[in-house]
Amino acid sequence: MDRHPRRLPVFLKLAQIRFPIGAIASIAHRVSGVLLFIALPVVAVLLDTSLRDEAGFASVRDLISSPLAVVAAGVLVWALVHHVLAGIRHLLMDVGIGGELERARASARLVLIAAPALAVFLLFWGLS
Amino acid sequence: MRLFDGQRAWVVQRISALLLLVLAVLVLPFASPLDFSAWRAFAGGVLGGPLIALLFGALCAHAWVGLRDIVLDYIQPRGLRLAVLSLIAVVLLGVLVRVLLSLAAAALST
Amino acid sequence: MRLDIYRFDPESGAPPRMQAYEVQPEAGDKKLLDLLMRLRVQDDSLSFRRSCREGVCGSDAMNINGRNGLACLTALDGLKEPVMLRPLPGFPVIRDLIVDMTQFFAHYHSIRPWLINDEPLPERERLQTPAERERLDGLYECILCACCSAFCPSYWWNPDKFIGPSGLLQAYRFIADSRDTATAERLDFLDDVYRLYRCRTIMNCTEVCPKGLSPSHAIERIRLALLRRSS
Repeated sequence: MDRHPRRLPVFLKLAQIRFPIGAIASIAHRVSGVLLFIALPVVAVLLDTSLRDEAGFASVRDLISSPLAVVAAGVLVWALVHHVLAGIRHLLMDVGIGGELERARASARLVLIAAPALAVFLLFWGLS
Repeated sequence: MRLFDGQRAWVVQRISALLLLVLAVLVLPFASPLDFSAWRAFAGGVLGGPLIALLFGALCAHAWVGLRDIVLDYIQPRGLRLAVLSLIAVVLLGVLVRVLLSLAAAALST
Repeated sequence: MRLDIYRFDPESGAPPRMQAYEVQPEAGDKKLLDLLMRLRVQDDSLSFRRSCREGVCGSDAMNINGRNGLACLTALDGLKEPVMLRPLPGFPVIRDLIVDMTQFFAHYHSIRPWLINDEPLPERERLQTPAERERLDGLYECILCACCSAFCPSYWWNPDKFIGPSGLLQAYRFIADSRDTATAERLDFLDDVYRLYRCRTIMNCTEVCPKGLSPSHAIERIRLALLRRSS
């Protein structure tokens, strides 16, 4: 059906495309999901170790408080918070709440701002 | 994968998301236990154990649909796609099995 | 005014490049299309599609300063310079700003964009109440410009399998039509991991529709219709 050969160029330089705020929230939703997936096996192992014995529990506790873990935890907490908030935004849009353009833009902005803010708060609260 | 075609996958993703929200509210307050015995008692208990198991079950189902969407979006060659999806499936199953075994062991010890 | 326009000559064998232009708008030049027509006096090799010049034919859809839109509806007033003009993203480029719309129209055809009703013909016409007719508002006005589908990341990654916001909006136009009796078959066709369910509700489509339509809303309605059907 396509008269033209495949070697026709295509313009798809993402850096030259001006993405709306909803698209930013959306890609962050995807990236955060992937980060959480990568963390999942680690969480499973930590769960297992923490339930084995007193020593296991203590070692998990120590690991979580180490500086490297804090950085990783920071990223993961953001990932979780953003993914959940963006997910709630999607669930609401599924049932017809906030699907209009202006409302969608506002909720995207809210999620993008609230996620790192809440993550920082949770991280400090968790560390104390 | 036939099981997860079209609408069904989308519904699984949404239902598991809702379930996770509810479970997270129920389980997370216990996520910072002060000591080993309290934590193990909870995870091995009749309430905590099934809750955590359900949480991870929903998590794996939710993750599967989400990651499958990513693979379907970006990976077109059939062979590579199958390989990546299989790898993801193995990881998720592995996580689920590890958690279930761990919870079973905790339950048996209490 | 300064412009930077994507140029591609299929006969030259050279890769696409950006070419700078400078043009003096005259009194009465209000829209980007006016400027482009004036540019052709300077350089008649510059190629782009255009027809109605009033935003109803959809011919002059292109990527303007990073966002898709119609050149004839884009006001010159407030337009950031140099005006960056590129072809619709993700679509094969035939020449300059002209893209191959074959795949886009194929998706449109695949959703059977005509009324299907095998019931015996009424005396005069198939009647609709005003409320039933209102359900078509926001759907029938699509001019098939492709601004939406060419701004949809899901469509970029799978242009051959995902129907795209325009096709899906049109599909819903017939699902929502009280006179159409093929709703079940239409929904069956769409219930597919690629055809409909590549949509992630990114909403880029609604952001750029020059007619102010909301393909994302139509897609949401299709998903609900599918849910209602299965329950």
